[in-house]
Amino acid sequence: MNRVVFSSWGGNIVDNRRKTAGYTPVENLEFPLEHNGHRVRAFMSWWGLVVVDEKINVADMTHAYLKEVQKLSCGECSVGYLGIRVMLDTLTRILGGKGTENDIALLRWLGNGIKANTKCDFCALALTPVLDSLKYYEGKYTKIKAAQKSLAKPAYLTRITAPCMEACPAHQDAPGYIELINNRRYEEALALIRQTNCLPGTMGRACFAFCEENCTRQDIDKPVSIRALKRVPADYEVTAALEPEAKVKKAGGDKVAVIGAGPAGLAASYNLALKGYRVTIYDEQPSVGGMAWVGIPAFRLPRNVLGREVDIIKKLGIDVRLNTRVGKDITLEQLLKQGFKAVFIATGAHAGRELGIEVEGGGVVDGVEFLRDVNMGQKVAVKKRVIIVGGGNVAVDCARTCLRLGFKEVIILYRRSRAEMPAREEEIEAAEAEGAKIHYLAAPVKALTEGGKVTGVECIRMKLGEPDDSGRRSPIPIEGSEFTVGTDMIIPAIGEKPDLSLIEGKSIDTTKWGTIVVDAPTGQTSLPAVFAGGDCVSGPATLVEAIAAGNKAARGIDRYLKSGRATPPEEQVVEDWLHDVALNHQRDGNIVAKKERQSPEQLPIVKRKLGFDEVEQCLTLEMAAKEAERCLRCYRVMLLAVDGKK
Amino acid sequence: MIKLTIDGKKVAAEEGGTILDAANQAGIRIPTLCSHESLRPAGACRVCTVEIATNGAKSLTTACDYPVEAGLKVSTTSEKVMEARRLAVELLLAQRPHSSKLQELARKLGVKQPRFVLAEQECILCQLCVRTCQEIVDVEAITFVAQGKDRGVAEPTVVHSLDKCIGCDACAYVCPTESITVTDIGDTRTINTPSGKLEFKLKQCQVCGKYWAPEKQLDYIIEKWHLEPELFATCPDCRD
Ligand SMILES: Cc1cc2nc3c(=O)[nH]c(=O)nc-3n(C[C@H](O)[C@H](O)[C@H](O)COP(=O)(O)OP(=O)(O)OC[C@H]3O[C@@H](n4cnc5c(N)ncnc54)[C@H](O)[C@@H]3O)c2cc1C
Ligand code: SF4
Ligand code: FES
Repeated sequence: MNRVVFSSWGGNIVDNRRKTAGYTPVENLEFPLEHNGHRVRAFMSWWGLVVVDEKINVADMTHAYLKEVQKLSCGECSVGYLGIRVMLDTLTRILGGKGTENDIALLRWLGNGIKANTKCDFCALALTPVLDSLKYYEGKYTKIKAAQKSLAKPAYLTRITAPCMEACPAHQDAPGYIELINNRRYEEALALIRQTNCLPGTMGRACFAFCEENCTRQDIDKPVSIRALKRVPADYEVTAALEPEAKVKKAGGDKVAVIGAGPAGLAASYNLALKGYRVTIYDEQPSVGGMAWVGIPAFRLPRNVLGREVDIIKKLGIDVRLNTRVGKDITLEQLLKQGFKAVFIATGAHAGRELGIEVEGGGVVDGVEFLRDVNMGQKVAVKKRVIIVGGGNVAVDCARTCLRLGFKEVIILYRRSRAEMPAREEEIEAAEAEGAKIHYLAAPVKALTEGGKVTGVECIRMKLGEPDDSGRRSPIPIEGSEFTVGTDMIIPAIGEKPDLSLIEGKSIDTTKWGTIVVDAPTGQTSLPAVFAGGDCVSGPATLVEAIAAGNKAARGIDRYLKSGRATPPEEQVVEDWLHDVALNHQRDGNIVAKKERQSPEQLPIVKRKLGFDEVEQCLTLEMAAKEAERCLRCYRVMLLAVDGKK
Repeated sequence: MIKLTIDGKKVAAEEGGTILDAANQAGIRIPTLCSHESLRPAGACRVCTVEIATNGAKSLTTACDYPVEAGLKVSTTSEKVMEARRLAVELLLAQRPHSSKLQELARKLGVKQPRFVLAEQECILCQLCVRTCQEIVDVEAITFVAQGKDRGVAEPTVVHSLDKCIGCDACAYVCPTESITVTDIGDTRTINTPSGKLEFKLKQCQVCGKYWAPEKQLDYIIEKWHLEPELFATCPDCRD
């Protein structure tokens, strides 16, 4: 095991420098000291300084760290911005051997003064390890010549993240675009969003916003409305009739085929096209967008919003072949033979699961199929009463759709209790407000039919037992508690699984859950030229996970086509290395005033039943500015010193 | 009304107001630089620093943007406060040593020669001009460009857009460091800003012949308030 020489991790000082035996171990270091052949010499971050190799030149490392901090120091307040600049200048001078006696005192005075009084948290928290290093490694600053002799200059690897960025599968730079919105620079905000998310308006509406669940602000009052804020510049672009600028790197690169035009396929295509690859997308549906088009109802995501964003992507020169099923109309081999140098499989999870109850005759429609029919403008028969089975978002979307279509009574049957319901709380509340009823702790046993038509469902009451694999308490039927409910229609909405017929018989590894196995950082499958990502790899998940997978695969494919190997780029290595570092805790923050969270207007209930008009409205620019001001800018800079190249 | 204590004095303040408002009302002076009563606070200059204590926690904050809270204890003169104000002013003065406003603030706080040098910048990023143009003029010709990840700017700046600017000179009026200046010579108004020079053609009064306001500003007013252009054919002095 690696012995840590010094650590101020989390504010606990462990100093093993003068010990020859009986080293104190450092508890709870949240990252391994070795990764992918790199060894940590030292680590510096807002949470402390960790020195593994005592020969490391801490003063030089602090300088490198402060340089990264300076780049993020926004300029919104004098103390943070100017103070950090003076500190950096002073450090540069010291390292150049031109330091004066007073410099260390000046650095401390500035460091403490900045920490105590900045506008946001960034500069203040970022200085913590700098002060630690001045306190515990003063000798490295005063005896510069000796310090510089100590060790061959290490390589410094940087990672910049924030609690919200870290929680986002696509690591979108929320504090960055929030700040731009605050300064009313909407076009730049949008350009920044597009670097990691090619569907800003779509995601500003339908994303489940993992970022908000991890936002620091909730320790003070409520999380920043990050999702609603993302929609603001996206809608601004539309109202101001602006066209995004897209700089395609010299086109004419290798040909890449993308199977599936859902968010994963779109994200990969977008990034590949920007890099100059010639992309062809195949989709069996007559429209682009995947589940976002055929699944998500229009009252949550208007089709013109998604359609416009799809057009922007297509304009990068992407060839889209609709109504083409790979595995039937064309095969994977044919694609590879036709000159596609790499293939990205992003076919989603569209195969409905069996309800496991006996049904004969009509009146039973799978939830996703039902939504697809509605979304694709198919006529669906409006019934008096419908029973929807399941507790996820698909079930809730089905319920809200049925209510809008004019179904008189809409009942959701869920086998566990409200607390276990996987659908988003806001959606459940909206469904109830719109008139859906939810029966908890009940499961269907069999469908009752008469003359080939569904007339009701026999159900059984459940109770909750021990937690299962997913951590949710598993439902157990209560014997003899059967009861029947009359209904004209049953919609099972209990999840989908990938349909992998297109890779059947190919040497592509799959899991026992029927998903494709990939190398996580690159998306590469066991067949080197074939990559995969999105729901077909993860099982039914979310839009943002699909986009993240598409982004990653684009990087992987680019590396593969350039070097023959899909090795992850350095930044990805650092990202994987440091991804467990908990970002929420902070040492010595200042008091932050409470500020009310701005929430977008919602369409009144009476108007919702009339049709599929969008329920949630956009924040006004005024509200957006107010909301953006709530962000604390919790950027975290981490600097690793590893063995140098030589 | 919200009850709080400032420098040991019990103060009742209006809800939604700031510590600065409450102090002003109680006759307690807090120095400021980037705040203006008609504008949303920015908390940029950190000159108005005070110390607050609430629920057992204590820290520095800025009076101009911290909202009053019941039971808040504020100190405007503690040694910590003074030290923090001195730091802010010393930094600002190092960047803009020739500003008379900053020199005066420094004198009052006992800051002498800054102990460090910064490349001299005209603009101290107080954002008064940005907010004035947005909130008072309602034009949004000036925006603040912050530094940040993947932003590709080496230094934060304030940018004036010639397209949007109407030449009204409100920004020059509020600038505390004379970084934005206006000169009217003949039929031309020149606004000098840190991000460049903007020129505007001035309108001539039909009666006295004086050049009295930028044509672009008048067009803006006419369009915004749906006024008759003839109203502006003469300067205010020649109107009866
Ligand atoms: C009703 C519903 C509501 C949802 N709401 C949300 C939400 O609000 N927020 C959220 O984050 N997530 C939501 N999700 C989940 C989200 O839609 C998916 O996780 C996401 O779309 C997955 O993206 P993907 O690109 O992997 O696959 P998909 O979006 O499923 O796209 C796959 C595409 O591949 C095509 N395809 C499949 N097989 C072939 C083949 N052999 N040949 C050619 N084409 C093929 C399909 O036609 C489809 O267009 C919802 C899902 C559903 C069903
Ligand atoms: S306060 Fe801002 S930076 Fe911090 S977690 Fe929330 S959104 Fe992200
Ligand atoms: S006056 Fe309060 S920060 Fe400038």
